[in-house]
Amino acid sequence: MFPNRSGLVRVTMLAAALMASACATRPGDDDPEGQAEFRETNDPLEPTNRAMFAAHEAVDRNVLQPVAEAYRDLTPQGIRIAIRNVLGNLRAPVILAGDLLQGNIPRARITLSRFMVNSTIGVGGIIDVAREWGVPGHTEDSGQTLAVWGVGEGPYMFIPLFGPSNPRDIAGQAMDFAINPLSWFGQGLLVDAAGWTQLGLTVVDTREALLEPIDQVRATSLDPYSTLRSAYRQRRGYEIRNEEERGRVVGPSGVTGFGQGVTGPAGPDALPPTQ
Amino acid sequence: MTRKPASAPYMSAMKRRLLLSAPLLAAGLVALPRPGRAQVDAAGATAFIQTAGNELVAAMNDPRLDLATRRDRVAATLRRTIDVEGTGRFILGRYVRQASPAELAEYTRLFDDIIVRNLSARFGEFRGVRFSLGRSQQRTEEDVLVNTIVERPNSPAFSLDWRVSEVGGQPRVVDVIAEGTSLRLTTRSEYSAVIQRSGGRVSALLEAMRNQIAQLAAREGRG
Repeated sequence: MFPNRSGLVRVTMLAAALMASACATRPGDDDPEGQAEFRETNDPLEPTNRAMFAAHEAVDRNVLQPVAEAYRDLTPQGIRIAIRNVLGNLRAPVILAGDLLQGNIPRARITLSRFMVNSTIGVGGIIDVAREWGVPGHTEDSGQTLAVWGVGEGPYMFIPLFGPSNPRDIAGQAMDFAINPLSWFGQGLLVDAAGWTQLGLTVVDTREALLEPIDQVRATSLDPYSTLRSAYRQRRGYEIRNEEERGRVVGPSGVTGFGQGVTGPAGPDALPPTQ
Repeated sequence: MTRKPASAPYMSAMKRRLLLSAPLLAAGLVALPRPGRAQVDAAGATAFIQTAGNELVAAMNDPRLDLATRRDRVAATLRRTIDVEGTGRFILGRYVRQASPAELAEYTRLFDDIIVRNLSARFGEFRGVRFSLGRSQQRTEEDVLVNTIVERPNSPAFSLDWRVSEVGGQPRVVDVIAEGTSLRLTTRSEYSAVIQRSGGRVSALLEAMRNQIAQLAAREGRG
């Protein structure tokens, strides 16, 4: 996903440095229920995470959200659907690897056939022909693969611009990048430009899909930070267990996802508000 | 949250098996004489959700009603369908015992107001909505998860699971799960964070809830 490997290394190092800075106080032995809740919440880095969340919110309200809103207002729905389809199709190698590494051959066959049909008849992935033929897509990523292999999630982390995450999902992002054949090409100007374009479109597309859910959380939650944390962790569990099968549409999880969860058409949110 | 990644493939295999056997299971549960224990059966829970869902859809899609009336209809159905008091206590969790009786009574009143306002504001805006029953499965001894697929015009369908439990001899909804995210778990985490961040005081949560109701009321006035 990242146009160059050092970008990801930098993000990881930044996260590690931030992790070292502040920790939540664990309840004492006289409060077993408090300790149980502390373990369940899985957020020992909460003070740092909350600071990161506040920074992210500032950037989001001033940059990401207005850009996503402008994207929705200025780009015709057909184009947005095409962009989402192309981004999803470009993720096919990563999804296929996830299906195979998790030993799920039926889903691997679906991913492969969708990629072949959509890349050719669907004109480079612009049209999701396979969905129209009754073969909807699903998503996988290496974070899910690691979970299926038994790797623990590690402490919850909130990373600015990146959203809710944890060490397992960050490692998964690195693996996804290594698996993606697009990252195997050289460092030419064109390759760099294509990589940055893909990254930029993925961020904008993901944020556009999240306009209503995030508005909803901000309007109804007494503490958006903990709502997002709970929702992200539940949602990841659901994705890992592959409960979204049977052709249901899957939206992106939390703020992260980078389009990895977006397999449906740009539908509900793409409607004008008057509808 | 209890997540056991190591057993995930087995779990999903089990789910598939459960899925296949769910109709048989449901049929068996209806046919067998059940012990006296309060327990909601899958068929009863499904019928309950179907009735409530039809009422909600009828209210949301009635072209003669304006938005405010639709919201009121939806709110009335929700109050008959949801176990508001039990769900509120589940969400307050360990703080139920720390709250004074007066605080608990006020909490229940505020929670009822918030949950009904939130859900009816959301549902009241859905026009042209359709819902269909998906699989229905017995989850635990106490409750049944009834799966529904909700469709709106020009929107991808989404999955909504209703956790149905028996409360005072009647089936009642105790949780709504949207695409794998449980509303009561998310809200519990939210309320607990508010209490903890104000030094463990339940009164701080009540204060925040009162503010939220004022904001929701203002939004309804505008919308």
